[in-house]
Amino acid sequence: MATAAAPTPAHVAPPPEPPDAPRPLRPPSRVPRAFWWMVLPAVAIFFVFHTLPVLQGIFFSFTDYAGYGTWQFVGLRNYLNLFGNDRIAHSYLFTFQFAIVATVLTNALALTIAMGLNARIRLQTTLRGLYFIPNVLAVLVVGYVFNYLFSNSLPVLGQALGVEWLSTSILANEDLAWLGIVVLAVWQACAFNIILYLAGLQTIPGELYEAASLDGASTWRRFRSITFPLISAFFTINMVLSLKNFLQVFDHVIALTNGGPGTATESISLVIYRGGFQGGEYAYQTANAVVYLVVIIVLSLAQLRFLQSREVES
Amino acid sequence: MTRRARGGACLIACAVLVPLVACSSPASGDGRVQLDFFQFKSEAVATFDAIIADFEAEHPDIDVVQNNVPDAETAFRTRLVREDVPDVVTLNVNGVFGEFADAGVLYDWADDPLLEEISPAVVRIVQDLGQSSPGAVNALPFANNSSGFVYNADLLAAQGVEVPTTWAELLTAMDTFEQAGTTPVYATLKDGWTALPAFNQLVANTVPADFWERLDAGETTFAEEWRPAADQLAELFAFAQLDRFSRDYNAGNQEFAAGGVPFYLQGSFAIPAIVSFEPAFELGFGNLPTTDDAATQLLVSGVDVGVTMGAQPRHPEQSRLFVEYLMQPDVMRQYSQDQSAITPLVDATTGDPTLEPVLPFFDDDRVTGYVDHRIPASIPLAAMLQQYLIDGDADAFLTQLDEEWDQVAARRS
Repeated sequence: MATAAAPTPAHVAPPPEPPDAPRPLRPPSRVPRAFWWMVLPAVAIFFVFHTLPVLQGIFFSFTDYAGYGTWQFVGLRNYLNLFGNDRIAHSYLFTFQFAIVATVLTNALALTIAMGLNARIRLQTTLRGLYFIPNVLAVLVVGYVFNYLFSNSLPVLGQALGVEWLSTSILANEDLAWLGIVVLAVWQACAFNIILYLAGLQTIPGELYEAASLDGASTWRRFRSITFPLISAFFTINMVLSLKNFLQVFDHVIALTNGGPGTATESISLVIYRGGFQGGEYAYQTANAVVYLVVIIVLSLAQLRFLQSREVES
Repeated sequence: MTRRARGGACLIACAVLVPLVACSSPASGDGRVQLDFFQFKSEAVATFDAIIADFEAEHPDIDVVQNNVPDAETAFRTRLVREDVPDVVTLNVNGVFGEFADAGVLYDWADDPLLEEISPAVVRIVQDLGQSSPGAVNALPFANNSSGFVYNADLLAAQGVEVPTTWAELLTAMDTFEQAGTTPVYATLKDGWTALPAFNQLVANTVPADFWERLDAGETTFAEEWRPAADQLAELFAFAQLDRFSRDYNAGNQEFAAGGVPFYLQGSFAIPAIVSFEPAFELGFGNLPTTDDAATQLLVSGVDVGVTMGAQPRHPEQSRLFVEYLMQPDVMRQYSQDQSAITPLVDATTGDPTLEPVLPFFDDDRVTGYVDHRIPASIPLAAMLQQYLIDGDADAFLTQLDEEWDQVAARRS
């Protein structure tokens, strides 16, 4: 990542050609046509199926469109109504808290596991495969399994151990339900982050560790001074992607709590889906979605900037 | 955002693909008119297939194609977006139907002779939800369900408890079971909506009928008039088992069918599910008593299936023939027999003997609609009720309901 910021040869201006040197004969088209055929359809499809709907959505956020029937412009009313809506404010608060906790936990856990899997342990390949499985399973399906565990198995365990807060389903407790969602989200997201960290760890040359061990560096010292700085680019990208993904949390909530108990675990995307598609407030929730989009972009860019500035120039 | 965009992309994909599909299947080459019949109930597909076969035998020039999709309301919405309204539609007559009706996309059946045989109270339920123009009736009631409570007749007989018909009798019955060491009510509040059948019944009987007009006129609030209903609801669910917040609807049906619980606060729609678990006791059903005057109790009933067409039907004549066929009392009775429903006819009948105790309410015109259908779907009433039953804070619940109501009104004005 750090090297990407440095000017690459492509950006360096070509040296001025000597005036009387014979102009090199350029082929009429420098790029083989095949590349255009690869890129252009993708651009067209991306524009039609992604950019156009986004623009359409932004347009409808200034109307009172219910998704059908007639509509008229209402100016900024939808955006103004977003402020002071307790339910939406609560969903933002919940989503941010959830995303921050889940991002930190996922990365701490994934990095730890990746380092373990990178060491010379037995069954290394098998274990790597095992740890990747959660990424392949659909969140909804796994979610219902976790739902069963939280609602039925865990309370039995809690009762046997005499732990009061575990004796009833944590998903039915408005103060604890978010924990269940964090557990599922971290469990599922770790798989992919482990893979990225493993890729990063394999870029570190073994001689560095040999030299460090000759110098008598402790395990922690080796991690702090060699491993972490050298994979900081991977750390950055993992943190940014995790936060972005967790901010968009939806399936986890649907499978575990459906936004409940009450409205305690309603994420932003759940509120948008419920109000927009099921509640007949298409335009209003589209305005919410636009705000949400801007928030995610701003946060991701800020996070990228901050983390990249702390990366070690290697 | 990607979810949003993906939804949009799907819509565009549909918009591009559907005309192509439509072009490739012209209105059948043999001169028969093809009717697109949008039918929302997946459990009734076979029943409607039989009805369609009979209809087509009578009208060989009409070909009815039954179209049943999951999540029918959303699917219907997307068809409205494309202005591609199916020829004949069945819909659950609820708040979403009301929004469709208000938007003026559905046919108006007011003054139609087909309505003459329908119970006026049921027609009023349809009108209360939404009207394309004042006085319009935008769906023909085809089958009704009923709110109420299911009981285990064997357990009641064993304790010597009569089927309660007043609120006081209900509380006494609950106490009797509690003292006998039996949990009186099985509740499934993990699914917030399962508190709604009882709450609808309470509000319908304790809040004056003109509440909604006064609410719209700004003369009253939920906090002022819904407090008694909220208190009674909490009182009822306090009789339920301890893990009531971690059991869902399916678990409840199964648990009730296993016996051991005398009362289950669910509408008639839960009966087929309970029966599927083969209960070894006599199942009873009644109107949930909410006041101490049995003679004035109202029954909360909804139009489970309403039949209608688009405001401008593509094949008005043929569509109408099919609707007329559906609305024949014999066909409706056949349907209610297959689906444990109640026919909304003036002389109401049901195919399920368990439901017979509520039929007199239809005969006496003492029927009213689901209150929650009048609350816009963007207000999470079920979740708020669930929250209220957890923390017991009636003030917070009603204040929040008022705030949400005002905010939705501000957004829609």
